[in-house]
Amino acid sequence: MTEPRPPSEIRHRFEAELGAIQRGAVALGSLVLENAGRLVEALLEVRLDLAQQAIDADDQVDRAYIDLERRIFRLIALQQPVAGDLRLLISIIRIAHEIERSGDLVVNCAKGILRQQGFHLSNRLQGLLARLCRSTLDLFGRGIDSVSSLAPDAGARLDREDDTVDDLVGEFYTLLAVEAEAMHVDTAIELSRVGRYMERIADHAVNIGEHVGFAVTGIFPRHGEIDEE
Amino acid sequence: MTEQPRPIPATRSVPTGALVPGNSRAADPGRPESFIFDVEGLKVFYGSFQAVAETSMQIREHEITALIGPSGCGKTTVLRCFNRMNDLIEGARVEGTIRYHGADIYGEKVDPVEVRRRIGMVFQKPNPFPKSIYDNIAFGPRIAGHKGNMDDLVEESLARAALWDEVRDKLRQSAYALSGGQQQRLCIARAIATSPDVLLMDEPCSSLDPIATLRIEELMIELKRDYSIIIVTHNMQQAARVSDRTAFFTVDVKETGMRTGRLVEFDTTDVIFTNPRQKQTEDYITGRFG
Repeated sequence: MTEPRPPSEIRHRFEAELGAIQRGAVALGSLVLENAGRLVEALLEVRLDLAQQAIDADDQVDRAYIDLERRIFRLIALQQPVAGDLRLLISIIRIAHEIERSGDLVVNCAKGILRQQGFHLSNRLQGLLARLCRSTLDLFGRGIDSVSSLAPDAGARLDREDDTVDDLVGEFYTLLAVEAEAMHVDTAIELSRVGRYMERIADHAVNIGEHVGFAVTGIFPRHGEIDEE
Repeated sequence: MTEQPRPIPATRSVPTGALVPGNSRAADPGRPESFIFDVEGLKVFYGSFQAVAETSMQIREHEITALIGPSGCGKTTVLRCFNRMNDLIEGARVEGTIRYHGADIYGEKVDPVEVRRRIGMVFQKPNPFPKSIYDNIAFGPRIAGHKGNMDDLVEESLARAALWDEVRDKLRQSAYALSGGQQQRLCIARAIATSPDVLLMDEPCSSLDPIATLRIEELMIELKRDYSIIIVTHNMQQAARVSDRTAFFTVDVKETGMRTGRLVEFDTTDVIFTNPRQKQTEDYITGRFG
């Protein structure tokens, strides 16, 4: 303890595990992103096989999520991390939850596709839905990227980009309301759910960015809002 | 002050009197009352060797302040400055000021014995006198000329140190018959008996098992209602658990091999352990350095 010294073997192992956990969160996000890609294709190309794959793949997401949570729990219990290390681990627990919830929304959406045996939409509605899905997946992908880059401003940046998704959701509902008259009521309801799922997935992506911001800066935007109240 | 020992108040209260006549806290009303120590430009030398670089910090009343850092960072040296224990080391020299209730404890007319009565110390290893439990407590007050009921004082001191119930029936037995944890609480009771308002603790739990450590930690939290506590600890979890504020010291090593302690960061314990401002603090508490 008397000399400034390089990190010990024990500390080296801790850092290796911390890095592995961070990569684990990115991998978990990538699994869900990939699954969401399948879902969008199932949605737009009427591919029921892909919808089923998206449902089946969620088990893998759940296993990876539980594994990640256990590793974090063990590291906290055995190594008593503090400061930046602790913030990162707490943030990754939250991030993993956001990702896992997003994965569930993908599954819900896929189940809707199967119930409807695929959606057969007008060109306008199809085009709008495609834009909405692309924007949502794009935002979610950026959220996952921020877990890797640990960009301190990720939350604010993703929050701004989320406005695009929200606008598209609004447009989608408006158009759906117009076209719903010509649809079976179940289809219209199922489609409105799809819009809601996309909106929620985008919100989870923003939350992921905020958790990343907290890991890096120690400031969580919503803590400030609560303090002000 | 040395000729006329001050009587111990019947009911314990924070001594507000000055260490030297005419230099009381009341004479300096502008000072924020919540600071018990105001350290300004403190430097400590052992001969020509500078052990602690210039340090300024303010210690608040009724708080537990933890001093942490690697060995050789000067935290124990700084602790020992608060009650002039460094006077006892040959060649030790202190520069700067440490104001206690507004009065510099290194002032010319200040009696170091009186300083140590007001600012008690508990050491790393329990060091009871080879005497009975009772006499361990009564020793200090007798020297200080305590005029009140000694039995009451012994009981009160032991009760405050959460030891009374365990020793009430064996006050005449040797202090050495107590367990390590009990001996340490006895030393705390002994420090309390002379009516200090500050307790300095130098790694008080380092020789104790986790249960005895927990007792001392709980005791510290109780004691801060009546006292201000400064603790040096190597156990960062302990600093995190018990202290209100934490000072992190590090050691700078010069090319000549000269090692000087330096205060890096002093903030609430919450900030130090969740979001320290200085990278050196973060590196130390996360185990990456030191």
